[in-house]
Amino acid sequence: MVDSRKRCLKSLPYRRVWLPVLGAACMAALLIWIAGDEPVMGAVQRGLARVTSGTLNLLGHRTVVAGSTVSSGLFGITVVTACTGLFTTGLFLIAVIAYPTGWKPKLIGAGLGLAGVFLLNVVRLVSLYYIGVHLPGFLDAAHQLIWQSVLIVFAVALWLLWAGRWAHAPRRV
Amino acid sequence: MARIAGSGWMNLVLRFAAIFLLVTAVLVGLWSFIAPGYSAAVAGLARPLVHLMEAPNASVLEARGAEIWIYRIVGPAEIAPFTWFDRYTFFAVIPLLALLVATPGLGWWRRLARLGIAIGALLLIHVGYLVASVELSYAALGLTPVGPFLARTLDLWQVAVRVLWEAAPVAIWILLTLGTWRRVLRGSRGERRRESLSTEAIGVND
Repeated sequence: MVDSRKRCLKSLPYRRVWLPVLGAACMAALLIWIAGDEPVMGAVQRGLARVTSGTLNLLGHRTVVAGSTVSSGLFGITVVTACTGLFTTGLFLIAVIAYPTGWKPKLIGAGLGLAGVFLLNVVRLVSLYYIGVHLPGFLDAAHQLIWQSVLIVFAVALWLLWAGRWAHAPRRV
Repeated sequence: MARIAGSGWMNLVLRFAAIFLLVTAVLVGLWSFIAPGYSAAVAGLARPLVHLMEAPNASVLEARGAEIWIYRIVGPAEIAPFTWFDRYTFFAVIPLLALLVATPGLGWWRRLARLGIAIGALLLIHVGYLVASVELSYAALGLTPVGPFLARTLDLWQVAVRVLWEAAPVAIWILLTLGTWRRVLRGSRGERRRESLSTEAIGVND
């Protein structure tokens, strides 16, 4: 009786199913905690504002950073929590952790997601600055409709690529 | 560690992204026509829910074009604007529809059925988001008395509601297409394995 129960417990797919689910739940809790923690979010926003300003200055603009606001004589953008890509990155990481695969592919996925979403987010902020300067009437739609959707498809496509290429690649016999 | 997959999977993902972007572009163009109707539906469903949660009734909801305005009852037959949800609050309709249209391996009927279910689910989530946002704002401003637990964790609840709002389209899409993607992924793996075996058989790897 005890033996059969032990065997039954061993056969539970806890390593393949429950550990990833637990990991994803922890990641979701971490995401909620980070988003609610003002010092951490403030640092992320200021950092992103500096990177955006640096990129714009490389492209020939003269922007300055004050807190999390990037501005020039022409236009200014403020990086708020929703602009940091935190939610997209967090959801990407939850999907990577929840996927039943080894630790090495998961690390590759996490690296891809963090780097990919960060880079695209910088492109997004820089493009919004350009739109604000040259097409201000189009700014709201670009900010709220187009870039939000592009971020979503980018994260989903990156995850699919990771799942197909790294997480699910056939083993050599 | 892992062998890089063939270009089939990459093409499939690129095609998915391209269709998504195309559908998004069309829906962005149509958003000014879609948004007022959608906002009216959200406000219509949220109204009884808000009344159910508030005793005595403290809010008036009004769909004004694509925006939803929340007024607070401040006296007998007197209301004051409290907050509003702009015309982009419910933008998630666009990526959700685009994700479902772009998903490979779904027949027309299945796709249409999933589109209907997805929009229904998103509408309910948006109704919940609107009601929760308003009630949590009242609690945060001290307009509604709350218990000590809720008072301590109010910030976390607000962030959780925001995360749910943000994650809703992707979460609904995953739930509705998980089986399809599994089939597509399995098909792609089988194809790659066959390719791998055939290249080994003819000695390409030697």
